[in-house]
Amino acid sequence: MAETQAIVKGLKDYILKEFLPGEDPEELTEATPLISGGILDSLATLKLVAFVEDRYKIKLQAHEVDIEHLDSIARIGKLVESKLG
Amino acid sequence: MDNRESTASSSTLRDRLSRFILLGLQLFLLLVTIRQFQIESSAFVRIIVLAFGGFAVHYFLPLSLKLPFFALLSVVGIGLIFGPVQAAWLIGLGCMLITICHLPFSMRARVGLLLCATALLALLRVGWLPAPWSPAIWPILGAMFMFRLMIYVYDQAHENEPFSWPRAFSYFFMLPNVCFPMYPVVDYKAFRRNYFDAEEHASYQQAIVWMTRGVVHLILYRLVYYYLTVAPTEIANSGDLLQFIVSNFLLYLRISGQFHLIIGLLRLFGFNLPETHHLYYLSSSFTDFWRRINIYWKDFMMKLFYYPVYFKLRAKGDLRAIVLSTLFVFFMTWVLHAYQWFWLRGTVLLSGPDALFWGILALFVVGNSLYEMKHGRERSVGKYRFQFVPFLRRALNTTGMFLLICVLWSLWSSETVEEWLALWETANKITVKTVGLLLAIVLVLSLGAEYSVYRDKQSKLKRPPATLFNRATVGNVVFLAALALAGIQEVYLHLGPQAATFVNTLRSGRLSRLDVAMMEKGYYENLNRVERFNSQLWELYMNRPSTWLDVAGTGLDRFTGDFLHRELVPSFVAMSSHGPVRTNRWGMRDQDYEAKPAPNTYRIALLGASSVMGWGVRDNETFEALVEERLNQNNVGKPYQRYEILNMAVPGYQPVQQLLVVEKAYSFAPNAVLYVATGREASRSASYLAEVTAKNIAVPFAPLREIIAKAAVPPKTAEAIGTRRLMPFRHEILTWTYRYIVDECRERGIVPLFLFLPQVEQGDWVEETPEILRIARAAGFVVADLSDVYQGHEINTLRIADWDNHPNANGHRLVAERLYTILKEHKDQRVAALFSKSTR
Repeated sequence: MAETQAIVKGLKDYILKEFLPGEDPEELTEATPLISGGILDSLATLKLVAFVEDRYKIKLQAHEVDIEHLDSIARIGKLVESKLG
Repeated sequence: MDNRESTASSSTLRDRLSRFILLGLQLFLLLVTIRQFQIESSAFVRIIVLAFGGFAVHYFLPLSLKLPFFALLSVVGIGLIFGPVQAAWLIGLGCMLITICHLPFSMRARVGLLLCATALLALLRVGWLPAPWSPAIWPILGAMFMFRLMIYVYDQAHENEPFSWPRAFSYFFMLPNVCFPMYPVVDYKAFRRNYFDAEEHASYQQAIVWMTRGVVHLILYRLVYYYLTVAPTEIANSGDLLQFIVSNFLLYLRISGQFHLIIGLLRLFGFNLPETHHLYYLSSSFTDFWRRINIYWKDFMMKLFYYPVYFKLRAKGDLRAIVLSTLFVFFMTWVLHAYQWFWLRGTVLLSGPDALFWGILALFVVGNSLYEMKHGRERSVGKYRFQFVPFLRRALNTTGMFLLICVLWSLWSSETVEEWLALWETANKITVKTVGLLLAIVLVLSLGAEYSVYRDKQSKLKRPPATLFNRATVGNVVFLAALALAGIQEVYLHLGPQAATFVNTLRSGRLSRLDVAMMEKGYYENLNRVERFNSQLWELYMNRPSTWLDVAGTGLDRFTGDFLHRELVPSFVAMSSHGPVRTNRWGMRDQDYEAKPAPNTYRIALLGASSVMGWGVRDNETFEALVEERLNQNNVGKPYQRYEILNMAVPGYQPVQQLLVVEKAYSFAPNAVLYVATGREASRSASYLAEVTAKNIAVPFAPLREIIAKAAVPPKTAEAIGTRRLMPFRHEILTWTYRYIVDECRERGIVPLFLFLPQVEQGDWVEETPEILRIARAAGFVVADLSDVYQGHEINTLRIADWDNHPNANGHRLVAERLYTILKEHKDQRVAALFSKSTR
């Protein structure tokens, strides 16, 4: 549980710093749509993938880079956990 | 699944019924609007009735039965449009492809088998192997499988989902696809995973909103198509140019309208698919444009090409991987566009502007991506706040991008690069129209861009679940009711004559004046303009059976290499779907005649184009044959023993080409020359001179050469430029042409007769008619005007087919009766000579 929270926090901090500088952190929730909401475009998605791989020492596959896995912090967290687990 | 079912059943029956009635009311209003405005084809109206009726059943079904029911409805829809036999072929072919995807072989073997099946189908598509099914199913089979099969196989390779026939049927044969050869590339994963993944009534309401938006796009498309489009040859200044490029881009509303209707309809059955287009006219950069227009295509390319290539290359550096994968995506877009063209049309697309368009767009998107990598881009999840500087920046970006895309789009939709370059000849002529249009564009796009930001922010806000009668739903009901009412004749007739005419125009799915002109010219089907995917005229041609007789390619005509350009081949016989087409030894579509008439014969040489030649009717059904027969039946010996009408008409001939035909006619010693005009005589003459000048074909008439020189059209000038420059001289060209024919006839004692024969379809082509008749009378022709010959008759009973406006046998009979009566009753002595000895 604590690990999940840490992953979510790490992701949120990164997204806020990298893609939403100056935004109110309260506005970005675990469920905020990232790809379908226009926050993550293809370049930003690839940046996030690089961050996730580097931070959690995991490898993502091309077919995992989609809405199903990356559209919200919660989904990314789930993906990371499944890779770590 | 169980959770979802229990959630659904937790709504009280009364609440569900109320919601259903509200949805039903909106669907009814939508149906009335679609019917009254004749949205898309009559086939689409049938599918919409089936879909809305199906929704009434689907709504009350348990979740477990909903998907099989949708699959069944989709199959019924195919049967409804194609009939049982063709539907069975289409579904059978589809089942074969789906089965291959699930054979118990390795993925590599299955892909190999799919490629073999595709190659076989390709051979059948081009006609190298005979196909036992109707050609009409090709575009739909293509639309269903050409891209979706790729996604399906890709997802099969990466997931282990159990196979389900209802799901596979729903995915490939999905309901409205049977009416749309252009179809969004629906992602299989999204199709599967998003199925009933949200509160159902919110999804249904969203479905109706999107379908309403689709209808609005399609009505706006008509507004542009009928009122704003201009031909390249009509561009006289930068204002016209601006109107041309903007209206050209706005025609894309047709695709976005169709896609909204399609995805809305799918949502109605629980497939909560994302938006297909997002305010694409308000893009602020090239990458933004790529993200907003045809979002499904972008996602498809990212999934199958961009990410796989990037992941393969990223070990060699991020920047390099991003640049190469982006370029690869655009290269594949170009390739797949040609692939799509092949399945829809059965021919290969090799168009310079198409390649150039995708190449330029690729470079702009790469440049833009690199900029965004370095500087980032504006993103926000907060509430909307108006700020002047960002507003100004957005306004400038959006306007600039819109105009740039318009320019690129005009390149894409040009047939050749040369034709596109010719558009810019008058770009330096600034007019009030230019300034006015620019100001209007800046104003609309600035406000639109700000609204886009506001709307995006609003859509991200959390909202409480919608109540039954919320503001948005009631607003949609009122809007739909107003739209449906506006489309009812009894209502809009009360709006005054101008408004009523305007609404009436928007209600009809006819061709625009530019497409009618294309159809008249008869070369449209050979053009390689990519915008044809989006054209109503192309759809008409797509419905044409392959056995339809086509002048080019049948051997009926041949090139002459001179100003005449082409002529009918002598002693030719071909079978068309309308019966035999024969030419005599002189290359006339007529019975055989001696070169010189027998004594006591009255001979008429008939000049004209395809309608006169008898396109689409049997040899003995042409009005020429009928009049000749009647003259010989009723008038033999009064005073002539025999009447002969020599049909010298050739499909596609323009007025100036008749100058050579009439010279040929003299050798048959006619008593009269009957010149048949069918509309737009002046502009068609100017266009033809531009065409021959562009091809560097010598013009054998000095006065015409002088006009060409006066218009500053040297040999090999691009046809579009030549036409534009010669258009102001069109009446002068026609005046000289008519005078020449009359003078030459008079010199030989031949009676010059002129017949105006209207086209079967009413349209803007009549604009030139009064002037044509005035010029003909002034030149000295004896004029017979048949303008009203088809009036009072239903158009479909007089023309060959929807895609072919030539008169059918009924039409020819009407013309023959009127022509005979006119000849009989004409007071002019020169015409009366038919029935009394000529003084010649």
